[in-house]
Amino acid sequence: MLTLNRRQFSSLIAAGLALPQTALAQSADSKTLRVRFYDDPAGFDPANIFRIENENIAFNLFSGLTSYDSRTGEIIPDLATSWETSDNKTWTFRLREGVEFHKGYGSVTAEDVIYSYSRILDEATASPYRGTMAGIVRMEAPDPYTVVIELDAPNGGFLHTVANYHQGQIVSRRAIEDAGDQVRWKPVGTGPYYLESIDVTSQIVLKRHEGYFRGPAPIETIVFDIIKDEATATIALRNGEVDLVMRSNREENLTTLRAEGFQMNSVENYAVALKVLNPEFAPFADSRVRQAIAHAIDYDAITGAISPSLSQGTTSILLPWMPVYSDDIPTYPYDPDRARALLAEAGYGDGFSFRHLGTSAQGVTELQQFEIDFLAQVGLDMQMELVDTPTFNQRRNAGEFEMATRLLPAIDPDLILFSYLHPDNTVPGGLNGARYDNPEVTDLLIAARAEPDPETSFAQYAELQRIVMSELPYIPTYANNVFWPGKPTVTGVNINYLAQVNFFEVDVTVA
Amino acid sequence: MLDYALKKSVQLVVTIFGVVTLVFFTLRLIPGDAASAMAGDTMSGEALELLREQMGLNEPILAQYAAYLRDLVTLDLGQTITTRLPVAEMIGKAIPVTLSIAVLTIVLTVIISIPLGTVAAYMAHKGRARLDNLLTGFAMIVDLMPSFWTALVFLLLFSLTLGWFPASGMVSLDDPAVFLSRIALPVLVLSVTQIATMARITRTSVLEILSEDYVRTARAMGWSEFRVLFRHALKNAALPIATVIGLSFGNLLNGTVIVEFIFTIPGIGNLLINGINSRDYQLVQTLIVFYALLFVTINFITDIVYRALDPRVTF
Repeated sequence: MLTLNRRQFSSLIAAGLALPQTALAQSADSKTLRVRFYDDPAGFDPANIFRIENENIAFNLFSGLTSYDSRTGEIIPDLATSWETSDNKTWTFRLREGVEFHKGYGSVTAEDVIYSYSRILDEATASPYRGTMAGIVRMEAPDPYTVVIELDAPNGGFLHTVANYHQGQIVSRRAIEDAGDQVRWKPVGTGPYYLESIDVTSQIVLKRHEGYFRGPAPIETIVFDIIKDEATATIALRNGEVDLVMRSNREENLTTLRAEGFQMNSVENYAVALKVLNPEFAPFADSRVRQAIAHAIDYDAITGAISPSLSQGTTSILLPWMPVYSDDIPTYPYDPDRARALLAEAGYGDGFSFRHLGTSAQGVTELQQFEIDFLAQVGLDMQMELVDTPTFNQRRNAGEFEMATRLLPAIDPDLILFSYLHPDNTVPGGLNGARYDNPEVTDLLIAARAEPDPETSFAQYAELQRIVMSELPYIPTYANNVFWPGKPTVTGVNINYLAQVNFFEVDVTVA
Repeated sequence: MLDYALKKSVQLVVTIFGVVTLVFFTLRLIPGDAASAMAGDTMSGEALELLREQMGLNEPILAQYAAYLRDLVTLDLGQTITTRLPVAEMIGKAIPVTLSIAVLTIVLTVIISIPLGTVAAYMAHKGRARLDNLLTGFAMIVDLMPSFWTALVFLLLFSLTLGWFPASGMVSLDDPAVFLSRIALPVLVLSVTQIATMARITRTSVLEILSEDYVRTARAMGWSEFRVLFRHALKNAALPIATVIGLSFGNLLNGTVIVEFIFTIPGIGNLLINGINSRDYQLVQTLIVFYALLFVTINFITDIVYRALDPRVTF
């Protein structure tokens, strides 16, 4: 039987409070940062990595040939100091010399690059990113610090493929072989941090890689505490148990934290949520019906009412910060009269009823309640069809729905455009749930990606955006923002457009 | 007694086999699999097929079943599908955490609710109904409070406002003080509901006994009211109470799922939810078998306790 006298009870409570206190006690040369992590980690093997939170850890463990500027999303050098191509087909990368892998696995040479990408291409690896690399027909190392990669077709977006993001990350052959079937838990890269320890149900600890090629990071230890519940994570930050919250996605928590003076680190317009309309459902085959739906819903009003911090209405399939984004496209501002007129024109003057696929985990969200209401005003009856999450994923991937929503975070515009618009990616083989197949657009997709001249390429991208946004196979709804609230003493939390933070830039100011 | 144990063991094997088979097939009847759960938003088609292949989900279902039974008999629990970690190790680490919460909750519940219920029954018996009404009212309100709500209120009160317990942090048995401070709030949240239920049951059982002839006889023999109440009445009311304790242990294991999520406790409830969401058949199967074993064991113990409490009970 457990009995406690008053003194024992007090010491028990003090022990409970010891955690936040140790987090505060840090000197300049042994800084520790405690970060909330929101789900159980699923592993960090670049060939088989999933979900943003795991990617974010890997982003700090590995390097690619290229990487992304945290603020602008531009491609910047990483392991490659420079690259050249004349035709977007043959790419030559010059590697940085003297880059050390973690844990004594030696320095990076061209062979490691070739090994890493061959591993993705090897069917035995069963990497879901194999398709992304499939254009590679030849890789060569004329000297230890030069890699020549030849593609089967010109691809101006190839620098995204080799970026510090899953398939582009460089691994060490020896480390992979040593890890056996535990590769996902024994990542060895060249990034600013290495994985010190992991407890898959509670904690991930990263330590600074002293030999990092840009110099040692400012913080020595980063502890990721798994806290799944959003309210608990907010309390943990307010209590000082964590210094930074990875992804806080409830408006009420953001309001509380903002009022208490926490630093609201954020990135805007990180991804667009699209309505996917299945044209096999007869009314959705008519572009006037799709346009009517777009006109019928006022997304700015909805997001303004329910989540002003977290999202805002948007008008394109691409995001304004993307270099190929064009604003010379048709838009569909809120206009219920126009919506009714378009429906009448299409022969649906009396309206119709349709089903929207959703997850029972989320239920009918506030946002969808508003959508239902807006649509009802033009005579459309949107019914929510709720299934559990894996069923939802399966049915959405198979294209078994009338309407569904999809959010595809990407920094590479080609990823979004090809996934949604190319007929080869039609469901169930890909993400083209609208079964969109317009030969003119398909040709433009391929031409724009291959074109070495930036101006011609941009014109092609602009033209295809114009066509797609007129035909409207997908309806842009709103764009999301990502928040990582933290203590004001935590600086340099620059969330990039993949919703990741490069911890090399993060520091803690000691009072 | 030996016969009984033997009979029970045979029943146990049959029960577990039934559970294993049922769980194996029903899990696979649910749409979606580990690959599609993992791929989530951004993947489909060929990539998914590769993943399925790698996870061994493309094997014929009967072959998977046979392999699973073979592994189970040889006590090889294998690796989880999604994380590739040994299932035995993951469950082994989670069990002590959840069991500690459940056992502490039961202990706290028994200490508080049995005296409370007994005294309430006594008061009701004597016609002084105030405590009795209070208890019934409390039990009713508490029963209606969902545990996720209680958990959040406790978190705000005890963690944020009073600062007594942390809201997050490692849960490790290596440091008992930290361990206790982390599981204190879950235990409190779960106890509140349990205390209400258990006190009510105790009250009803004891109240019934109090009007029995032998209680009157005990009084007539001049025993003190205290002795009559706790030695005679409570002891005879113990059988239904023991049943409820046994049952509530099972309820508690379910109840921990929510509090483990909110308080970020790495127990088996947490594992089970993750396993189901990620369609990790290997993990879920093993956990369900463990739950089944636990329930059978609890029932067995309850039976034994019955016998100790009431010698008239025979097997």
